[in-house]
Amino acid sequence: MAAVQETIDQVALIDVDQYKYGFETKIEMDKAPKGLSEEIIRFISAKKNEPDWMLEWRLEAYQRWLTLEEPTWARVNYPKIDFNEIYFYAAPKSTPGPTSIDDVDPEILKVYEKLGIPLREQEILAGVKTPRIAVDAVFDSVSVVTTFKEELKKAGVIFMSISEAIREHPDLVKKYLGTVVPTTDNYYATLNSAVFTDGSFVFVPKGVRCPMELSTYFRINEKGTGQFERTLIIAEDSAYVSYLEGCTAPQRDENQLHAAVVELVALDDAEIKYSTVQNWYPGDKNGKGGIYNFVTKRGDCRGKNSKISWTQVETGSAITWKYPSCILRGDGSRGEFYSIAVSNGHQQIDSGTKMIHLGKNTSSRIVSKGIAAGVSQNTYRGQVSTHRKAENARNFTQCDSLLIGDKCGAHTVPYIEARNSSAQFEHEATTSKISEDQLFYCLQRGIPTEAAIALIVNGFVKEVIQELPMEFAVEAQKLIGISLEGSVG
Amino acid sequence: MNMQTAITMTAAETVLVDAYTAQIGELPGEGAVLSARDTLLADLKKQGLPTRRVESWHYTDLRALLRSVPAADPTAFAQRVDPLVDGSSVLSVLNGKADPKGAPAGVNVRSYRESLIDGVAAADLVERDADDAIGRINGSFVRDGFEIEVTEGTELEQPLELQLVQSAGQSHMRFPVTFGANSKAMVIERHLSVSDAPSLVTTVCDLIVDDGAEITWIILQQQGEADSHLAQVNFDLGANASLRLFVINAGGKLVRQEVHGVTTGEGSDFKLRGINLLGGETHTDVTFTLGHDVPNTTSTEVIRNVLFDRAKGVFQGQIRVAPDAQKTDAKMACNTLLLSDDADFSAKPELEIFADDVQCGHGATVIDINPTHLYYLRARGIPENKARAMLVNAFVDEIVEELEVEAVIEPLEAIIAIWLEKHA
Amino acid sequence: MLEIRNLHARIAADGTEIIRGLNLTVKAGEVAAVMGPNGSGKSTLSYILSGREDYEVTEGDILYNGESILELDPSERAAKGIFLAFQYPVEIPGVATMQFLKVAMNEQRKFRGEDELSTPDFIRRVKEAAASLQINPDMLKRPLNVGFSGGEKKRAEILQMALLEPKLCVLDETDSGLDIDALRIVADGVNALRSPDRAVIVITHYQRLLEYIVPDSVHVLYRGQIIKSGDKSLALDLEANGYADIIDAAA
Repeated sequence: MAAVQETIDQVALIDVDQYKYGFETKIEMDKAPKGLSEEIIRFISAKKNEPDWMLEWRLEAYQRWLTLEEPTWARVNYPKIDFNEIYFYAAPKSTPGPTSIDDVDPEILKVYEKLGIPLREQEILAGVKTPRIAVDAVFDSVSVVTTFKEELKKAGVIFMSISEAIREHPDLVKKYLGTVVPTTDNYYATLNSAVFTDGSFVFVPKGVRCPMELSTYFRINEKGTGQFERTLIIAEDSAYVSYLEGCTAPQRDENQLHAAVVELVALDDAEIKYSTVQNWYPGDKNGKGGIYNFVTKRGDCRGKNSKISWTQVETGSAITWKYPSCILRGDGSRGEFYSIAVSNGHQQIDSGTKMIHLGKNTSSRIVSKGIAAGVSQNTYRGQVSTHRKAENARNFTQCDSLLIGDKCGAHTVPYIEARNSSAQFEHEATTSKISEDQLFYCLQRGIPTEAAIALIVNGFVKEVIQELPMEFAVEAQKLIGISLEGSVG
Repeated sequence: MNMQTAITMTAAETVLVDAYTAQIGELPGEGAVLSARDTLLADLKKQGLPTRRVESWHYTDLRALLRSVPAADPTAFAQRVDPLVDGSSVLSVLNGKADPKGAPAGVNVRSYRESLIDGVAAADLVERDADDAIGRINGSFVRDGFEIEVTEGTELEQPLELQLVQSAGQSHMRFPVTFGANSKAMVIERHLSVSDAPSLVTTVCDLIVDDGAEITWIILQQQGEADSHLAQVNFDLGANASLRLFVINAGGKLVRQEVHGVTTGEGSDFKLRGINLLGGETHTDVTFTLGHDVPNTTSTEVIRNVLFDRAKGVFQGQIRVAPDAQKTDAKMACNTLLLSDDADFSAKPELEIFADDVQCGHGATVIDINPTHLYYLRARGIPENKARAMLVNAFVDEIVEELEVEAVIEPLEAIIAIWLEKHA
Repeated sequence: MLEIRNLHARIAADGTEIIRGLNLTVKAGEVAAVMGPNGSGKSTLSYILSGREDYEVTEGDILYNGESILELDPSERAAKGIFLAFQYPVEIPGVATMQFLKVAMNEQRKFRGEDELSTPDFIRRVKEAAASLQINPDMLKRPLNVGFSGGEKKRAEILQMALLEPKLCVLDETDSGLDIDALRIVADGVNALRSPDRAVIVITHYQRLLEYIVPDSVHVLYRGQIIKSGDKSLALDLEANGYADIIDAAA
């Protein structure tokens, strides 16, 4: 009893301010005026030199957005957002858009260095141990650089910022943008469609296995801005790509909004693996500040035997509201969702997935591990449904929650909808605390409390960690430790 | 609620509101009872019947499903039948009219009509929450039922059957029941239909299970294929009390059985066991919430569903563990056999946990008959359809067996067997 | 090596007194058997020695190498060389046995101010110890104790004991749930660890295990006290005549 109590006390004392990515960099910014209006949208579109069709698309979404109301069904509480107080566009003056590495403002390069994200290809190549990863670096509203573009191009892979893609590959963008998450989808997706500023675009053509990991690193730096990124990934027949996103932000007393839309399209026999390590600033120990992370992520397994796999490690943000989902349209397609959601301090998480079985012989797997500490609230919300014609749909869901301390809450809200007699769904959920027996056993072997808890928690999330690309698995384990700092070393 | 200020009333809503105006003179009770009824009806009128936009009615859009409401039929005739279990005491309500005679020793009964007339009932006629459509409809129209007290320490040897027989029209009944400390009883709430004419039956049972009482409550719902059945059980469990609630649905066109409970005494135990036999065009919803409000309480819930034809089934189960309700142990399972491609089942098992030293879990499965089992039976010479029937039977009989009393198990298994034979 | 003096202890949660004035001395090199009927306090004794916080010591002291250990937390006691082989080894999902062993060995070394083991050195040690206990190395890749058979769990306990090289080993009902072959392997493992600078306390209900791990002394625990001590013949006596006579004599 006492050992666990001690842990709880330590967690209670945590200063969430130990967030180590909370530094701010002074960089001169070019900003749109505060607030949202048609003029602002025209301003953004003009800044990006967008074609008319893109502007039209944005304006239509904006009109739609004006008719919508903010959703209230998630188990999260926050004061109403004043959209007139947000800067919807902020770009470094020195680097107003994607450029070559030599032209990126050295101050910005320093930011990424500090974050441990190497952007210079030669540096990456020089590192013997680190595997090569292509990075698209998004700084507030713009992508500043995308690495390994040329090499990827040789393999036929397009990897660039979405702003560039709109200009350079309009046909591809037009064909796929908004086909997975329509502009009318939901309040924040519609808002994103109107104002998105940057994000990544990936196109892997037929039969190509992307030769390296792709990743985007999102950094919110400027005060008072919202980040609205838009990512679109297409894997043509038999293509494969593994993509990772990371995110951090400075520590500030105000709340900042991050409303992203990610769309994935997998055609016949294609596979997309999408991993997220989300570490936005979570706010301080009193719940002040932090990012509102309201995100719509959806993958469309459009082709037969296609596969989309989402893996997320959610440790940051004051509020997280995201449900990376799979539409299993193609016969034989497969969707996966692996999630670790750690909440501490005053954080609120309402996250999960949707697996929509439409095609025949589709299967899905959900493994969710929630860890709640401090006075946080951690909710898993997930839907599994079969269409009437979706013969032989299979789902397996395992959803476990761990509570550290008695001031937090862990909640599980699954929606299971079977409409075909051949469907087989299995759903299991558990909620418990770290067992006294496990803890004592570790202590008796000479492992001190903090290390013991780290060991047990890492065991608890193991199944999900295994799904991350190797080089990020270690990073994620450390991050989980830091998020529970005070109890876990 | 952000409903439009003036909703267009559906046919059913119109009938309900008009019926209230028409009946107002003859509904029992005045003063506080009347004003409580008025309030409930005003809310019903204002908010309409709940739609799928209301989270707790997401899978049962009452506004769309309750198309019409049969008019009250004063000429309808119903009579008592033999009790389910030989030797039971029977309290009957025939077409909504309660007969308080027949209570065993140690059990005090009076008709709810009397409580309405003398105003005692006024305190009951309130909504549980903003989504309480059943409470609203029932409270507006309630005419009868029983107020029952099983006195402290009473141990009933034989079951007490509440026999609710409906032939046509509407009945709205309430059953406030108090089980005194350390009492032991088995109550069978049995809903029967004796004609094919459509009827609307609503019931609200408020059960108070005092310290140390051990109660089994069985709801056997066998209404007609055209009937609507909206029912609610609310319960409150005292220290070391135990309540086993069996819900068996084997009839009705539109059925919503709500069960809402709280544990208010330490050491209490609750068990919910449900069997939903769903065929034809039925839409049957079992919605359950349980608040573990104090430390050291346990609960288990097991729901088994079998669906044929174009049936639709719903199970919503929410277990809440309050802050400080440490050492709660709660397990919920919902298992479904979908035996038709036109049938569908939705389950929403929820956990809402605010205490850390707990063991809580839920499981939900949608499955088909195990092919290995089927093969084994066939290899022993049992024809496929017979083998299937045996396996489906076994799937639900497991729940009935938990009752342990042969005299109760037998008639229930017989009802299940007949139902399955008819629908398979 | 170990001296328990007039020890009184109770369950912290409800105050039930379990140990009521227990005295026991175990010297380095000695194998002491503690026997007793169910409910006499045998498992409680093992938990108190290892510092489980569900129990409170209300009186008396436990000296280990002349030093009181009552104020030490379980991991400190472990690092100082006290090892408990659990009656029911705990399952820890997701934590591979190898990983667990490495963390435990290195944390103990860290506590004692020693360098961490190199990975090859660690693997070599584990392989050797596993082979002598007839443990399949594949088992060590599986999560700790998860899905292990009864025999595998007990062997894994002895493996940990061999690797952690404790000074005082407490075996709590190690024979329970073992068939005769497994019992022999486990006993051989324990016997291999017998040395002049190491003491072993074998807590058991039956004499069976003592045929394989022959004790130097036998102590009968009843109602939280040692009511009789003797040599290994005492165990045989108990086996033949039961506890009743000794309990009556002590009463």
